[in-house]
Amino acid sequence: MEKKSGSPSKTAGKPILCKAAVCRAAGEPLVIEEIQVDPPKAWEVRIKILCSSLCHSDVTIWQSNTSPLAVFPRILGHESVGEVESVGEHVEEVKEGDRVLPVCIPTCGECRECKFKKKNVCSMFDVKRQNAMPRDGSSRFKDLKGEVVHHFLCLSSFSQYTVVDVSQVVKISTEIPIDKACLLSCGVATGVGSVWKVAEVEEGSTVAVFGLGAVGLAVVEGARLQGASKIIGIDPNPAKFEIGKKFGMTKFVDPTACGEKSVSQVIKELTNGSGADYCFECVGLASLVEEAFASSAEGGRTILIGFDISGTPLKLNSLDLLQGRSVMGSFLGGVKPKLDIPVLVKKYLDKELNLDGFVTHEVSLEEINKAFDYLLQGKSIRCLIWMNK
Amino acid sequence: MDNSSSPSETAGKPIICKAAVCRGPGDPLVIEEIEVAPPRAWEVRIKILCTALCHSDVTFWKLNKAPLSVFPRIFGHEAVGVVESVGENVEEVKSGDTVLPVFLPNCGECRDCKRKKGNACSEIDTVMHHVMPRDGSSRFKDRNGEVIHHFLFVSSFSEYTVVDVSVVVKISPQIPVDKACLLSCGVTTGVGSAWKVADVEEGSTVAIFGLGAVGLAVAEGARLRGVSKIIGVDVNPSKFEKGKIYGLTDFINPENCGEKRVSQVIKELTGDGADYCFECVGMASLVEEAFESTRVGGSTIVIGVDLHGTPLKLSCFDLLMGRSVKGSFFGGVKPKLDIPLLAQKYIDKELNLDGFVTHEVSFQDINKAFDYLMQGKSIRCIIWINP
Repeated sequence: MEKKSGSPSKTAGKPILCKAAVCRAAGEPLVIEEIQVDPPKAWEVRIKILCSSLCHSDVTIWQSNTSPLAVFPRILGHESVGEVESVGEHVEEVKEGDRVLPVCIPTCGECRECKFKKKNVCSMFDVKRQNAMPRDGSSRFKDLKGEVVHHFLCLSSFSQYTVVDVSQVVKISTEIPIDKACLLSCGVATGVGSVWKVAEVEEGSTVAVFGLGAVGLAVVEGARLQGASKIIGIDPNPAKFEIGKKFGMTKFVDPTACGEKSVSQVIKELTNGSGADYCFECVGLASLVEEAFASSAEGGRTILIGFDISGTPLKLNSLDLLQGRSVMGSFLGGVKPKLDIPVLVKKYLDKELNLDGFVTHEVSLEEINKAFDYLLQGKSIRCLIWMNK
Repeated sequence: MDNSSSPSETAGKPIICKAAVCRGPGDPLVIEEIEVAPPRAWEVRIKILCTALCHSDVTFWKLNKAPLSVFPRIFGHEAVGVVESVGENVEEVKSGDTVLPVFLPNCGECRDCKRKKGNACSEIDTVMHHVMPRDGSSRFKDRNGEVIHHFLFVSSFSEYTVVDVSVVVKISPQIPVDKACLLSCGVTTGVGSAWKVADVEEGSTVAIFGLGAVGLAVAEGARLRGVSKIIGVDVNPSKFEKGKIYGLTDFINPENCGEKRVSQVIKELTGDGADYCFECVGMASLVEEAFESTRVGGSTIVIGVDLHGTPLKLSCFDLLMGRSVKGSFFGGVKPKLDIPLLAQKYIDKELNLDGFVTHEVSFQDINKAFDYLMQGKSIRCIIWINP
């Protein structure tokens, strides 16, 4: 049993001992432990994770004590980039050494959702069964005591090695730097995809973005790329003003500094009284989605990206809907991973898509808990965690 | 000079003619003599040939709630007519042209009209539709000289009406008048909702809540796109046979579902939910049921008018996983661009408009049209005004 093998063929077919950041209780710091990662079974790929980053959805789930989301011990992390170490039977689309992004939605290519142009949430696997391998429901991780460690979103990237179903593996070019590639496995793909595929923002339109975290900034970048004429960013953190401008934001609204006015009133004033053509909620609060909806123009689209774990229902006025407004949700930005992520990679390589500025912090695997602190304290956009350095 | 055969005789002068006037909420309309002023700048005076009753007329007719209700008023917004005369600056139509007056302005010049997507027109304020939009005054007076209010910029329950040029759609005189009339509201709303708002694709599955004229038009639009399943939901069992003409494949009567909810039945019929659900009635609770009936990533299109403004409650998680809710105003259609295309599709025998008109009455009997609709007997009742 060798650790950190330089030549993949030596470890193929055998369990690997390596380090992982294990979550043993909700909201508790992750513990760096040695774990055993089983070889990939049929249709599976074992991946050496190069780097991973912390997404707010990891934090939301990490803090949660309510089943069925809560299962312990588990390995979190779902935004990452890696290299294929070995593949199981039937895997032909990737081989040892390939650069890959593990992603949270499968692309089976066969189901209704994969075949429909407008959909992207592949129905191959049951979204609820995400704490184990999707085909046989078992785990590939064991701790040193031999006890099962659960998966997360069938990805688990806070580990030096992980096993992922081939339907969730996207092969990418090695030309794109690793720290940029990592962003395209979740946050930036979600933001840019929401603009490009879900909202279909057109040149000259007006856009409002609620929440300027990584996803919100990626929405700003996506809107800039589509030629939006006005991009209004809304965030209570004034530091987001400068960083938003770099991505193309044209106006900034601090909701805590609007006085008597509601944010929707301010946005209407900024858009000649009409409201914005497209409003994106990138925080995860039903009440903010309602504010975003109230900020939209007649015929405007409100896109819900943030994850509100509380289960609070969204309350909308039917009369507002009748004036042609719509509300749509975006999971991974409406992106069909295997088809669309390589397109985003190309846009980056062609110098159209700007990925500079998203990564604000970097830590080693041992310091992974700092990444949580930086995010919770509102200091970071994306903190990279170098897994194999 | 009413019923003049030569429009130039009346141009520039008020016209005395008959109109069906409503003087109080829910009151039967009374045929009265009124005076219709000549069109001012940017306006068009139209001789209405025939008009049809739409449920939205009924909703507003019954309503007793300012500022949405004003009386006396001339209702009617689904109609076809001939231009009698035009005011200054009107070049796109002239006397004698066959036109559809519509309730949604389409000036063609503003930012929203120029945008490819959507059909809002920011030139005209759609809230103040009880008067002429540019100067806020009425063109109708009763015999005592009192103002009679407009409705939805159209007021088609009158032998003559005056409308803003932004709501006038010129169409080919080839299309029979009783079919053309349908395109000025109901059928365009339904077909447009399927094609432009939902953009249903071949092989998708559709459920339609409410099989009135709009719901049946949604079915027709879906049929033309090659949808694989069209499930109609209605409490009136006779709507099933009617719906089959437009491609309905399944029918659900909510009163015959026993313990099950309609959404459960739809899920059973579609293996987990329909791709598109259309609400064509106008009740927030039904919109919620329609939302429940969609599959992951499915779309709910809200067409029916719920004037009570009852809030809709939706699950954020379901939306997050890709579902959407879209309001449809006039089927997402840009009237001046899209209605002539629909008329052409009828002329080319693609779009089937047979079967929508189930009743016809004379202008004198206009109140029968209300009875037929409210008793669930009619789909569309044509009222012949100037046959």
